[in-house]
Amino acid sequence: MNAQIPSLLSRLSTKSPWLYRINAGSCNGCDVELATTAIIPRYDVERLGCQYCGSPKHADIVLITGPLTVRVKDKVLRLYQEIPDPKVTVAVGVCPISGGVFRDSYAIAGPLDQYIPIDVNVPGCPPRPQAIIEGIAKAIAVWQTRI
Amino acid sequence: MSDGLILLFSVLVFPGGLFALALGLLIKGVDRRVAARLQRRVGPPLLQPVFDLIKLSRKETMIPAQSSAAIFRWAPLAGFSCMVLAAAMIPINGVYRPSPELGDLLTLFYLLAVPAVVLMLAGSASGSPFGAIGFSREMSIMLAYEGPVLLALLSVAIRVGVGEGHLISLSLTEIVQYQRVHGPFILDPWMWPAMLTFLCFFPANLGVLPFDIPEAETEVLEGPLLEYSGPSLGLFKMMSAVKCVVVLGLGITLFLPNGPDGVLGLLLFAVKCTVLAVLGVTVVRTGMGRMRIDQAFRFFLKWPLALGIASLAIMLARS
Repeated sequence: MNAQIPSLLSRLSTKSPWLYRINAGSCNGCDVELATTAIIPRYDVERLGCQYCGSPKHADIVLITGPLTVRVKDKVLRLYQEIPDPKVTVAVGVCPISGGVFRDSYAIAGPLDQYIPIDVNVPGCPPRPQAIIEGIAKAIAVWQTRI
Repeated sequence: MSDGLILLFSVLVFPGGLFALALGLLIKGVDRRVAARLQRRVGPPLLQPVFDLIKLSRKETMIPAQSSAAIFRWAPLAGFSCMVLAAAMIPINGVYRPSPELGDLLTLFYLLAVPAVVLMLAGSASGSPFGAIGFSREMSIMLAYEGPVLLALLSVAIRVGVGEGHLISLSLTEIVQYQRVHGPFILDPWMWPAMLTFLCFFPANLGVLPFDIPEAETEVLEGPLLEYSGPSLGLFKMMSAVKCVVVLGLGITLFLPNGPDGVLGLLLFAVKCTVLAVLGVTVVRTGMGRMRIDQAFRFFLKWPLALGIASLAIMLARS
């Protein structure tokens, strides 16, 4: 019985994943997809309890877009430190994985997973809204093992 | 001794504390669901605010290095406890009559200012520039809406006081009693200016669109709440849920407290709160964009203030 209560609480907690977006030098394509994914009626992710939050301190699931440029690297790492544990990282688009169309550029510090642990990759240029929602759903499953 | 226990029960369990918190969270859930439906979305489950609280209780609390840690830590608790106390001062017709020791209309009015003060303290103690902007905006909007609302409260108090044979009546129980005998004020056109003023006060005090300027997440990243995380952010969410019940309950007490006794009266109170929240908050916030702080300031010192003065003048002229 005593073991069941924490697991029940963690199951209920996963119904409230708050999303935070970090743009690590993205071309804005994935950011537009992220904005429309959650906000337009057709692909409403609020039904999963998700909510975009303005502050990294409120976040549970971090969505990172872009190839991690040299100039933005330190800021992204600092933002990542500001997010309270337990947290899950989702890399959205092909850029955080390989650099995408920006690979081999002198301005790129990526790939992202050399600097911060990535839990879910959502490849695509940009990924479809359905793919992003699936990525968020997988991130929730990862998050349940931590909270 | 038993009087003290009853007082403690009314503050901590019913109608303050647990009851107000449960009702407030339910109203927040209905608000989010209805807002989603108005935008043709599916929306979150009704218990979403409860899930949010459970989640926040299991997160890490971070205290920024540049903050004044003591104020930062205790401000949310102070705000929450003041709102619980205020919730015990709201009478529910036929169910609950607040003890006179808890205070009168003016005490309640001052307690209602505490969450705004707490947000200002939290914003300035967090050491973040966004918190400081939130602090200044919270102060301007509070200065703008307090005056008109006080006028509306006074016109109700004078109306009841004159009806009962003395100059002014600040007791909430007396206001409810008067309307039980003479009919609710919502049916009296002379009271409508005061009611309109009070309707403008809802979104400003509850911090929702078009007056969520201090916490605008797209401009100042939730302002005073920016640096809060985990359980202390949860306390702020609980404070705003209880505040929701207090403000809605005050509106119901002032203009439409009538209803049956017993459990039915309690249910009717909850229904009235929810309907008022949907009409006065949800529909307004889905239908409007955010005002700038100077527009909001000018708005409150124009229409609600004019209505408040008109309503006070009507009450004085008719007495």
